[in-house]
Parts: sequence; structure tokens; C-alpha cells
Amino acid sequence: MNPSTPWYLASIILLLGSLVPALLLSARHGPVDRLVGLSLGGSVGVLTGLLLAQAYGQSSYLIVPFVLAVLAVTGVLVYTRLLGPR
Amino acid sequence: MKNFAYVLLFSGVGIIVVSSWAALWLRGVLVRLHYLSPVTTIGAPLIGLSLLVARGWGLATGLILLTVFLISLSGPAIAVATARVIAQREGITPAESPK
Repeated sequence: MNPSTPWYLASIILLLGSLVPALLLSARHGPVDRLVGLSLGGSVGVLTGLLLAQAYGQSSYLIVPFVLAVLAVTGVLVYTRLLGPR
Repeated sequence: MKNFAYVLLFSGVGIIVVSSWAALWLRGVLVRLHYLSPVTTIGAPLIGLSLLVARGWGLATGLILLTVFLISLSGPAIAVATARVIAQREGITPAESPK
């Protein structure tokens, strides 16, 4: 085990703690609040993926947060089009 | 150098955690939208910088920096797009904006 792994795991646990508000925002409130929660969850998910790859020393895992970063932005922008007035 | 990487890492994570809980705590969707910005424009670059300091230059670090750059670039774009939806729904701007 890499000696720096516990530090990264601690930071991942803290980041997962910030995923809770994102989930609560996405589950309650109005449609635009849910969009804010979705956007927040996407960003936190990407950063968690980056830190997981670093914690376990697997560079090949980095493709997951990279793809998620692209898809999360696209998804939120699609929802902004759908939530606009018709 | 490693300690500096940890300082950057936990600074970034701290900003993200505080912003997320503040976004949930405060009322009003525009206020929430404001608290989304530090996550992408301060927290993510700090974490990317800490990973750069910890790993040094390399192909994997390039992918990390590209990912962080994507998040940092997309954050303001998402905030503007969401704010435009709010303005359209509340009748502040016309529905067909920005044609």
C-alpha cells in the first residue's frame, strides 16, 4: 500500500460527504434546483474518480473521470434546453 | 513537497464540502447556483494542482489536468445556462432568448 493512500482515502470520504447535499438537492425541491444538484454531483463524482485513481495508483482508471466530465456537462446542458419554456 | 500537495488537496476538498453544504443550506436557486461556482473554479483546480505536485509531469498527469480543465471550463458555462433557464422561467428574459 502506498503510504499516501490513507490521505487520499480520507479526502475521498470527505468528498463523498459533499455528495450528500448534491443527492438531497437532486431528490427534493424544484426542477432547476435538481439541475443544480445534478451539476454539483457530476463535478464531485469526477473529482472523486481522480482521487480514487491516485489513491490506488492505477493510471488506467483516469479514463472514467475524464469520460464522466464530458458526459456530465453534456447532460446538464441538455437538461437546460429541456427545462426552458416551450 | 508531499506536504504541500496535501495542503492543496485538503484546501480544495474543504472548499468543495463547504460550498456543497452551503448550497443545500441556503434558500433560492440563484444563491445555490452561486455556491456551485467555487466547486469548479477553485476546488477542482486546487485538487488538480495537488495531484500535479504529487505525481510530477507525465502522461497520466496530463489526463488529470485535462479533466480538471474541462470541469473548470464547463462550470461557468453550466452556471450561465442554468441562470438563463431561471430567467426564462421567471419571465425576466424572453423565452426565445438568445436568438
